[in-house]
Amino acid sequence: MSEQEQITRIRLKYAKGPSLRFTGHLDMQRLWERLLRRSGLPIRYSQGFNPRARLNLASALPLGVISESEMLDFWMDVPLPTETVRKHLAENAPPGLDIQEVTSVSRQEIALQEQMSASEYQITFYDPQPQSELEDKVAALLAADQLPRVRRNKTYDLRPLILDLKVTKADDGEIGLWMRLNAEPGATGRPDEVMEELGFTNTQYLACRTGLILKA
Amino acid sequence: MAAAIKELSNVPNSSQETLWRRVERILPTVTKPGRYVGGELNQVIKAWDSVRTHIALVFPDIYDLGQSNLGLMLLYDILNQREDIAAERAYSPWLDMESALRENDIPLYSLENKRALADFDILGISLPYETLYTNFLNILDLAHLPLRSANRDESHPLIIAGGQSVYNPEPVSPFVDAFVVGEGEEAIVDVVNTHQAWKTAGGSKQELLAALAKIPGVYVPSLYQMDFNADGTIAAVTPESPDLALPIVKRINAKLPPPLTRFLVPNVEVVQERVSVEIMRGCTRGCRFCHAGMVNRPIRERPLDEILTALKTGLDQTGYEEVSLLSLSSSDYSQIIPLINGLRELLQERQVNITLPSLRIESFTEDLMDELQSLTPGGGFTLAPEAGTERMRAIINKPISDEAFMDTVRSVFKHGWKTIKLYFMIGHPQETLEDVAAIAELCKAVLYEGRQIAGGRTRVHAGISTFIPKPHTPFQWVGFDSLESIQQKLDILHQGLHGAKVKMTWNDPEASLLESWLSRGDRRLSEVILKAWQNGARFDAWSDQFNMAHWRAAFTEVGLDPDFYSHRARGLDEILPWDHINAGVKKSFLKTDYQWSLQGKTRPDCRGGCYGCGILSAFNELRLVAPDGGWKCP
Ligand code: SF4
Repeated sequence: MSEQEQITRIRLKYAKGPSLRFTGHLDMQRLWERLLRRSGLPIRYSQGFNPRARLNLASALPLGVISESEMLDFWMDVPLPTETVRKHLAENAPPGLDIQEVTSVSRQEIALQEQMSASEYQITFYDPQPQSELEDKVAALLAADQLPRVRRNKTYDLRPLILDLKVTKADDGEIGLWMRLNAEPGATGRPDEVMEELGFTNTQYLACRTGLILKA
Repeated sequence: MAAAIKELSNVPNSSQETLWRRVERILPTVTKPGRYVGGELNQVIKAWDSVRTHIALVFPDIYDLGQSNLGLMLLYDILNQREDIAAERAYSPWLDMESALRENDIPLYSLENKRALADFDILGISLPYETLYTNFLNILDLAHLPLRSANRDESHPLIIAGGQSVYNPEPVSPFVDAFVVGEGEEAIVDVVNTHQAWKTAGGSKQELLAALAKIPGVYVPSLYQMDFNADGTIAAVTPESPDLALPIVKRINAKLPPPLTRFLVPNVEVVQERVSVEIMRGCTRGCRFCHAGMVNRPIRERPLDEILTALKTGLDQTGYEEVSLLSLSSSDYSQIIPLINGLRELLQERQVNITLPSLRIESFTEDLMDELQSLTPGGGFTLAPEAGTERMRAIINKPISDEAFMDTVRSVFKHGWKTIKLYFMIGHPQETLEDVAAIAELCKAVLYEGRQIAGGRTRVHAGISTFIPKPHTPFQWVGFDSLESIQQKLDILHQGLHGAKVKMTWNDPEASLLESWLSRGDRRLSEVILKAWQNGARFDAWSDQFNMAHWRAAFTEVGLDPDFYSHRARGLDEILPWDHINAGVKKSFLKTDYQWSLQGKTRPDCRGGCYGCGILSAFNELRLVAPDGGWKCP
């Protein structure tokens, strides 16, 4: 086997808990680089004066959102059993980062970001919400033909980015919301935008990403 | 999901859960909320009820700056190693967070257990520089605590303060219960032990203060009275009882404590993210303007292998991509070449960057330059001649001839550097406009040499700061230059460097003026600080926040003359506001050194021969227990 062929691509699934809620996308990149360095695994680094671990996050998580389901690819120079990799990473993870699954994927696969299709979010309210009122709001939103909004000085339509939206009721009776939003490169919906359309500010709820859906 | 919300506050106590829930809601509304949540790798969270003493270590500037403060992290580590102590952290909230906390009536809290600061037994305030004083008051206020020590009782946390600025503690003395003067690593443990014994005995606050005053290096200002003469100078400092120490001798460690390896690794970007190891404490060069060089004596070196091991362990525990060595003058470290060789190995096996600040011109050898260039290719080279003429450099006791300086410069360029940074100070005692003009000439000469040797891509950067006469230095009697004069000198430099392709940066003279008030003030200045804070002064160290109007108004309201503190030269026989604090170097030594400066007489590095500055006589016993070779006093 040539050296080139030995390089292994590893895919991780992990959860991002409350203490990392305000660690943004770029900070997560740095956090991962340091975690990979601490792990002592044979990480593949870029060449040059400031070598950096090559890694690839599936999708940026909006600031303030926690997640049960994030994905990341990184590369190693030497293949190792996935359980060994998981152990090294878990032992060196900072508080709030939970490694759930380690798999090996083909080097030929396209970048994770390109594979993204949709994201799912669960919303929990800090204060109890009346179910019927919430249901009315959701119905009205879904009935709209268009939801024009402005993001970074550009107008776009939020409506087609909302693939699904419904009111949820937990076992303990707590009322929340569940949504599936488009997450293709260049057409990504964010939960805070949907919540704003429903009349909620980001001080009223906690959002959790519960699923990442890749293109088949 | 509900569980996730609960997890946001891992404290069983319901009132605390309420506090954190309320914070949670405001966080999305402020900039960079990651500053206010803690959760860093290597943080220590202990069950609140499992310890005897809760101490909050407070850095009165924002998280971005305070998070990487080595002194605070070291104390955090030392205290948390004790099972019966929980040390937590707090920093200044930025302005938007301050408003949000105030509007919602949420007290300032610790990052670990998210407890209100008022719930702690002790608040340890870090005061490395004077421009944090208003932030310190702001923190007490945000913690819903009375600002004055006299208005706090046993129900409030004990407020202790330490750091380089408290070698003159007087300007903040009414707000602080006790100061730790000097090195805090051992003293803080004594403070906690004393507090525990007091708490067990159930004594009064007065009893606690009296017990603290017995700890070496601890100054309890309320137990000392300060009287003034009609002309505003100090008449006497009198202890309340004869058994109280006068002067208070600073605390030092015989041996440098083990270097930190458990660094807190932030989850959001902060100013310095790297493994830092102090290679040496103190300095023997004796620059007459240098506060750090005087108060941190004696010089103590850390063994080479200890440094390298600490760097490796630190990298393993953090995953950082950069290491940094700290000292006042790295090239004076006696094993600098072996150290650099060790760093090169580290660099090769770990692929990290290295920073090595504070190198001295005199101690440069060709060897050292070869080594350095291979270690940090592409970086700039920093030299600090501080003054433009040989005459001036003799006055400030940084003697180096123009010729030797230019030799070093040529050598730097020959070794491949293309950028040189030069640091200068204006406003030195006895400085003439010719001395100032010479700074510009020197910069141009450096640029010229660089172009001859290294070609057109040579860069010269001149950093200009203003001299501030600091306590415990030979220049402590000198007045601070007038703003008009400083402006005139800056104009001369601008003209001198006009069109010369030398980049010049300079400090705001008004910010230096503020620093001169705060560092040279007496107890009465505390009223000015209080008023300035009430007027809105905060983040005085931030050029975009500093507002001189708040301070001018405060002086007027209190009825004190600002010039009395800054521009006035002090009489050699005057009682200075910090005379009752002994930094180890004798006042008589400083006086002689000041008189020598008037004659242009220099005092070379004392490692070649002791001048009897007072350190060895003050710490004779400590030295006997110090390990071989640690102290560099001959
Ligand atoms: S005691 Fe002597 S050698 Fe030591 S710092 Fe003072 S002057 Fe220098």
